Amino acid sequence: MSLAFAILFYVATLVLVVGVALKIMQYSKTPAPLKIPTTPAPTTTSGVVMRMFREVVFFESLFKATIWTWIFAWAFHMGLFAVLIRHGRYFHDLLPAAIVGPLKYAAFAMIIGLTGLLIRRFAVNRVRYISAPSDYAMLILLLLIGISGAMMTFVDHVDVVGVKSYFHAWMTFDIENLILPSDMVLRIHLFLVAVLMLIFPISKLLHAPGIFFSPTRNQADNPREVRHVAEWAEKLSK
Amino acid sequence: MKVRAFEHGLLLALAVVLLSIASVSSAEEKAGWKNGTSLAATQEKSCVRDTAFMRRNHMEVIKHARIDTVRKGVRGVDGSLSECIVCHVNKDDKGVPIPVNQEGQFCAGCHQYVGVSLDCYQCHATVPTH
Repeated sequence: MSLAFAILFYVATLVLVVGVALKIMQYSKTPAPLKIPTTPAPTTTSGVVMRMFREVVFFESLFKATIWTWIFAWAFHMGLFAVLIRHGRYFHDLLPAAIVGPLKYAAFAMIIGLTGLLIRRFAVNRVRYISAPSDYAMLILLLLIGISGAMMTFVDHVDVVGVKSYFHAWMTFDIENLILPSDMVLRIHLFLVAVLMLIFPISKLLHAPGIFFSPTRNQADNPREVRHVAEWAEKLSK
Repeated sequence: MKVRAFEHGLLLALAVVLLSIASVSSAEEKAGWKNGTSLAATQEKSCVRDTAFMRRNHMEVIKHARIDTVRKGVRGVDGSLSECIVCHVNKDDKGVPIPVNQEGQFCAGCHQYVGVSLDCYQCHATVPTH
């Protein structure tokens, strides 16, 4: 079982890294023939950087559009961010207890946020109408990951030293010391995470790199100052 | 229709894998902890509970004693931090006990390794007192 999980994670990591890299390459090659920043938009590049920063960190446009969705989405994303930082303790020795300890409560922000977003999917009529199976699937998958993870912190403790030495052996290809603690919740958690990593490059979760390539967000509002010509059109005019 | 069948198949496969993970009864891992050990921990004689339990829940055992003894006045609960230290303290060449919260020692070794706070010793003694 320890080896099976190790192989699963080698494959999942490869799929995640290569898959997302290929997607980013695809996005960077996709033509943006039109000048379509959502107005009011900044007129300079540094303004665009600022706007993108507010968009990515504070979800500014969502805040202005739908406050309830923003509350849950932001709680979830910030919770997830904190949880990811906290999980760093299994892969390196840089995190002091003063950070690892308090961050455990981020799990609740994550779970509450996801629950809110899931309820929104079927409680708001117009949202339910446009919801696809993958919308539910991603929320449920993340929710199960969050709940199984929080279980290990708050309900049934897992052997965290065992987990860390397992992943240390995993990272150093030390097959002999690949001994995964036998907790059932841990195995469910890890399996679901591997599933998430495997489907990430073909899922809606690609909005993470995708937002940086979205023309309505990454363009400056300067069509009069600078003529916007798509790359492929530029080649034609030569 | 074909897509529906595929989705159902996928869900079924997921459920099967989850169930098989859940039902696997594996032997307790024998991973040796390289960080912070003690003579008592390497011997076969058992602690107040078995090793697997202690690795996961030692903090609950100690906390339990704290609440029972300090707040409710119940004495003689099983699990006492000072007895933990009596067995698990290491001694230097001269036979002087090394505090358990010193780097690499029985408590601190693992606590530092996984970034978990160790605040027992803000109050409690780190070496045997008797």
